[in-house]
Amino acid sequence: MSESNATAISDPVGYINHHLTNMSSGTLGEGSVIDFSVFHIDVFLVSLLLALGLGYLGWKVGKSLDADKPTGAQNVLEMLVEFVNQQIKDIFPTADKWVGPLALTIFSWVFLMNAMDLLPVDLVPSLVGGIASLFGADPHHVYFKVVPTTNLDTTFALALLVFGLIVFYNIKHKGVWGYTKMFLFHPFGKFLIPVNIIMTLIEEIAKPVSLGLRLFGNMFAGELLFLLIALLAFSVWTMPAQIALGTLWAIFHILVITLQAFIFMLLTIVYLGLASQSADEH
Amino acid sequence: MDASVVAQIMSSTAIGVGIILAAAGLGSALGWGLICSKFIEGIARQPEMRAQLTGQMLFTGGLMEAFPMIVLGISMWFIFANPFIGAAKAALGAG
Repeated sequence: MSESNATAISDPVGYINHHLTNMSSGTLGEGSVIDFSVFHIDVFLVSLLLALGLGYLGWKVGKSLDADKPTGAQNVLEMLVEFVNQQIKDIFPTADKWVGPLALTIFSWVFLMNAMDLLPVDLVPSLVGGIASLFGADPHHVYFKVVPTTNLDTTFALALLVFGLIVFYNIKHKGVWGYTKMFLFHPFGKFLIPVNIIMTLIEEIAKPVSLGLRLFGNMFAGELLFLLIALLAFSVWTMPAQIALGTLWAIFHILVITLQAFIFMLLTIVYLGLASQSADEH
Repeated sequence: MDASVVAQIMSSTAIGVGIILAAAGLGSALGWGLICSKFIEGIARQPEMRAQLTGQMLFTGGLMEAFPMIVLGISMWFIFANPFIGAAKAALGAG
């Protein structure tokens, strides 16, 4: 433990780089953003565990629903479901029955994944490093990033899924010809078809790109700031500053976490609502 | 690939990132300022709408933070995984 602190004090860039590396099989090529040969084990494990935990909680509470005397967990989950339902009714009243569960899953899963950012920065990587050293690996080369949404993979996976659903809902409600008509004749008339195609294409592609990048950017910036605040403890006299700043930033980050999960869910509902409008309402 | 080339690329990247972050911070602050000023105006006109307006303010604020965050992400990419170094290495190694 003290060894890793000494490393932090003497080599801040190395400390930050160590905490920004994923536990992955294979290494990313230098300067490349997309590399399909790399698999991030830590992102997969944490998101899987959170999803399984969420599913188990839902199943357990759903099994013993009591309409007359609801218990604590049931109350919380009912509040959540009513909240999401209210948003859907406000924005997209003619939603079919799958939009509600989708929005609820997105909100709660993204919120839980974001909330892993509130754990102390060194906690899980040190634990994993300790366990790895029991098996003989060098703890300095064992990396573990605990927040899945600080990885472009996770946020873009969610965003691309929503994009696939947008295309599916468009085709289901407008038909293939209605969907292509939207590309060809909006926003200008039929004499400017190339311009229409370009503008509608940009609008459609901007939806998943902005969804993914917004969540990634917020979470990455938050994590980076936590790391920089952790580096403030280079001497005993600066520790009160680190504790104060860390607490303030963590409190503000609670708001950011909830807000980003809420925005992701709300935008999903809005986009699906837009996609479900029949052609003449557009 | 000698040290002076790397130093030049790194210093140009650093200056570029500084300008990028300044612009992102400025845009974000101005955007939030506009949103919150309209929010306060709205509360002054209709105090009973405060709860709804708060929700909407936070939501649009988060939406508008998207582009400064994207810009921040790109600048962090330049710092931590500088693509220019890779490109220069390839060009110098081949040449």
